[in-house]
Amino acid sequence: MDAVTIPIRLRYKRWLPYLAVLQTDLRQTTRSWVYRLWVLTMFLVGFGYLLYRLGVHREAGLVQEANIVMSDLLRWLVLGSAAVIAAITVGSISSERGTLADSVLSRGISRYQYFLAKWHARAIAVVGTFLVLGAVMLVASHFLLHENLSISGSLAALLQVSALFFFVASAGVTLSAISNDSRVAMTLLWLALYGGGALLELLPNQYPTPDRILRQLQATLRGEFDPSLLFDLLGYSVVASAAVSLIGLLGFARRDV
Amino acid sequence: MKAGEASRMAQDATLVVETTRLTKIYQNRNIAINDVTLAIEPGHVLGLLGPNGAGKTTLLRLILGLHRPTAGQVKVFGQRMTPNAAELRRRIGYIPTNPQFPRGMTPIAYLDYMARLFGLPRDIRKPRLASLIRAVDLLNASGEPIERFSHGMTARLAVAASLINEPDLLIWDEPTHNLDIEARRSMLELIKSLAAEKTLILSSHNLNDVDEVCNHTAVLHHGQLIFHGSLSELKGRIRKNHYELDLEGDQKTITKAVQIIKNMNEFSKVQLKQRRLELLLAPDVSNCTALANVFVTLADNKVHLVSIRSVGQQTEQAYLDLVETEESRGFTRLYTTNEAA
Repeated sequence: MDAVTIPIRLRYKRWLPYLAVLQTDLRQTTRSWVYRLWVLTMFLVGFGYLLYRLGVHREAGLVQEANIVMSDLLRWLVLGSAAVIAAITVGSISSERGTLADSVLSRGISRYQYFLAKWHARAIAVVGTFLVLGAVMLVASHFLLHENLSISGSLAALLQVSALFFFVASAGVTLSAISNDSRVAMTLLWLALYGGGALLELLPNQYPTPDRILRQLQATLRGEFDPSLLFDLLGYSVVASAAVSLIGLLGFARRDV
Repeated sequence: MKAGEASRMAQDATLVVETTRLTKIYQNRNIAINDVTLAIEPGHVLGLLGPNGAGKTTLLRLILGLHRPTAGQVKVFGQRMTPNAAELRRRIGYIPTNPQFPRGMTPIAYLDYMARLFGLPRDIRKPRLASLIRAVDLLNASGEPIERFSHGMTARLAVAASLINEPDLLIWDEPTHNLDIEARRSMLELIKSLAAEKTLILSSHNLNDVDEVCNHTAVLHHGQLIFHGSLSELKGRIRKNHYELDLEGDQKTITKAVQIIKNMNEFSKVQLKQRRLELLLAPDVSNCTALANVFVTLADNKVHLVSIRSVGQQTEQAYLDLVETEESRGFTRLYTTNEAA
């Protein structure tokens, strides 16, 4: 009797393409000069400022309360970093448009997986980096300044700023997905962020706008914050980021690359 | 269901690629592909020809689902291709023109990345990766970053990447572009060996390459498909009436025989250049009869026939003739439209 050959049906791992793009993008992002410059600048500004305050205390004997110094530092970092995060995220898809994206999107990956991988990679890079650097600075302030921070307050402050950065990263990737030109996308994002931030100030006082969050950081760092407001903020950030990303996802799924 | 309809459906199911009235208009209102209907059967090695800007790359990108058609549709393996049809693309291997690679990657890392993009599990992708890197002769350079590679090496890497998923359909956009003679030769040999078991679509400017490896051609001109068929059909379309004969014998007898041939009504042009006789048949003349008369005349005059060939049977000439005809049609249309206006 002739042997019957049974064709082996290859089993594909459904989410492997997503993981591949996620890992590769994380690696590429952390190797980019914009990202490295951002980290270096945050580090130098943060520790430079802390050492300066330590010097003021040593030389003039003025008490430097950690919550005041750290809230100032975080506020400046947020305002400065937003522009850099825009630059890091708006190039995620639009800068690869052409043959580089061709060689990825012509394989067994759907547009949805590609977009999600890019979004998650950039969000992880931005938020993760901030959380690590922020945590290091808060620990350093414990040794260098007059300590009056609470652990829960510090955690809340880091989460609040991370929520803002998460939205900025999401908006950046979305603009990158629906725009052909990184420079146009970056300009639009800067306008939206700084203009939108100013417009949000028109909202009633009960809403946690970015500027209000940053102004309340002093109290938050001491542990004087309302947990429900923190959860509200995190919720708004996640919903707004998801909504913005959904626009990017649907737009990208219908676009030519 | 009618028998004809059933057989058509069965034939459709076996088609590797099928485009129906495919049209692509870019946002700047440039019509890149205009109403293209094309069917590619399994085993075809299709050479996609056309001048620059004819729409070759756009057509390939539409087939891959990288572009969305403005009108019409593309079916690959009987299913509609869309930007999210990842399952269909698992059966396709693609090489873009001038392939680019992520910075800082080694060939092994790149091929592993490509394999993971197809969702291939580790136990399958590792052995494939190892055999492919050996097959394309990059084992010695497997630890070097790709940006240091020459054109030939990147081309070989792109070939390996396009084969990592063991595809049934290969779409290679100008695979011999920028390659030196040796690399081009090995690429053509590879195509020939792959053609035995896979369907290939090759876009190329080099008509000699197409002539050597393809069995079918499609010619695009200003986004329109002006020819689709076998290579022999393309060659056979034109200048069936043009022959060259190499003769041997005394020059006087050759001249005498040619003079007799010149007096025949079957030829619109008879020209002797040293010992090469060029014959152009008059319209509506049977080439068998006319050539038979020529042979008899030559034999009667003791002129030896060394060789005979049909001029214009090269792909390049056939292609140029086709494009030229299409251009003149365009001018005629334009002229007629202006006249009417």
